[in-house]
Amino acid sequence: MTLDHDTIRPVSTGRVGRGVIGSVLSGRLGWTLISFFALLALWMIVAALLQSRLFPGPLAVGDKLISEAASGELFYHVGVTLARVAVAFFLAMFVGSAIGILLGRARGATNQFFDTWLIFFLNLPALVTIILCYVWFGLTEAAAILAVTINKIPNVAVTVREGTRSLSRDLDEMASIYRFGTWKTLRHVTLPQLAPFLAAAARGGLALVWKIVLVVELLGRSNGVGHQLHLAFQLFDVSMILAYAIAFILVVQIIEIAVLQPIEARVNRWRR
Amino acid sequence: MNEAIVKTPAAASDLAIKVKVDEKRFPALGDRSEQIVLRDVELGVERGSFVVLTGPSGCGKSTLLNIIAGLDKSYQGRVDFGPDTDKLSFMFQTPRLLPWRTVEENIRLVLDDGDAGGDDADRRVAAILERVGLSDAAKAYPERLSLGMQRRAALARAFVVEPDILLMDEPFVSLDDPSADSLRALLIEMWNRRPTTVVFVTHDRIEAVMLATRLVRLGGKPAAIVQDSSVEMTPEERLDREKVLAMRLQLFENA
Repeated sequence: MTLDHDTIRPVSTGRVGRGVIGSVLSGRLGWTLISFFALLALWMIVAALLQSRLFPGPLAVGDKLISEAASGELFYHVGVTLARVAVAFFLAMFVGSAIGILLGRARGATNQFFDTWLIFFLNLPALVTIILCYVWFGLTEAAAILAVTINKIPNVAVTVREGTRSLSRDLDEMASIYRFGTWKTLRHVTLPQLAPFLAAAARGGLALVWKIVLVVELLGRSNGVGHQLHLAFQLFDVSMILAYAIAFILVVQIIEIAVLQPIEARVNRWRR
Repeated sequence: MNEAIVKTPAAASDLAIKVKVDEKRFPALGDRSEQIVLRDVELGVERGSFVVLTGPSGCGKSTLLNIIAGLDKSYQGRVDFGPDTDKLSFMFQTPRLLPWRTVEENIRLVLDDGDAGGDDADRRVAAILERVGLSDAAKAYPERLSLGMQRRAALARAFVVEPDILLMDEPFVSLDDPSADSLRALLIEMWNRRPTTVVFVTHDRIEAVMLATRLVRLGGKPAAIVQDSSVEMTPEERLDREKVLAMRLQLFENA
């Protein structure tokens, strides 16, 4: 009888004995939650021990976050920063990919020639680009976006160039035999092969753009998260700095989970 | 040249392809010095014929095919195509399907957006998939299929454009015998249904005899044409192993 029961029992009920909490905690989400609360607890303990205005605990920061959100300030500044990030990111991805594809296709001298330029721009500190853009073009929105874009383009170009160099010649030949033409080849043959490289460039790029945008805002804009951090710095308002930092991390995570991961899953659906 | 049996085919008036390679070199690469692969190769392919190019591995058969296809442009000589022969298909040694497109999409993609708009193209794709026995795999991604099925898809892609010229580079190599046989039978069937000019490269002599209406053998270094014979067999005889073996003996007696 017992044997029958065991054989019939569907596989999915195998975990029932451990209960809902048990199965959540054993999953990936469980570990994320545990580590999140551990970090929070650690923060609370350190804040309680220090008892300093310069090291507020999670509750103080939470209060600040809520009051900033209630006044609408938080959404306004995060929104402004988000818009700058989006514009700079897409510009850099587009221009960087185009340069990367051209360089990857180029052979010998052309590539060597531009390699030097790339290395120069790759190693140019972000701060220098930002200062120069502001000095040359004034404290304008365009200068701010340009500075971020210039910082990001070389990274995208180098990654996409590597991808272009590894493109399959076999598939190119197939496309030329069946007369795919430029656009069809790009869309169905080239870009899908570059997808992993574009994804890597996008991921690394987003992380970079986020950070540079804050610096750009800090140095020459009158709104955005960077500007708020600047204000808070002058007032030594650490709660505000942490509140904006946390809001920022949340937004980045939401974009990662809600936008980047689904796109990657879709692009990779053909893989075994 | 050497004691080659060069029987020039009679009445070479209606040529689909005329290729003349004075010389084809491979440049030095690494510690290998420059090589002359082909010299003085001249071949006229009659419309509707099934020419099999054969010869030892690495002798330059595929190189000649790539020259005809226009994939290899660094050679001395010229390739001309007859009138009304502008649609070309190439079945490669590996299937070369786009792994990120389904079988159906892969085949649909080679059809011109212009002359095969919408419904007509869909119908043609469905019909060709049915004929190669891949209707059930239409929505599958190529890498989930066996090599034999991927080759079927590549064959369907080569035929769906209704090519005037079909070039094939050892398309059935590295398949197990039953799969290769069934693909060959499928090729013969599709070719009979819609005869087109074929140039087929293989080093498998049995395969060569089974398929060819004309057999061209390359040999020597640099390679030149050392044999050019027509293969007179009925479609039934081509499926008869005894007949094929006998013909192979006869054709390759000096090889």
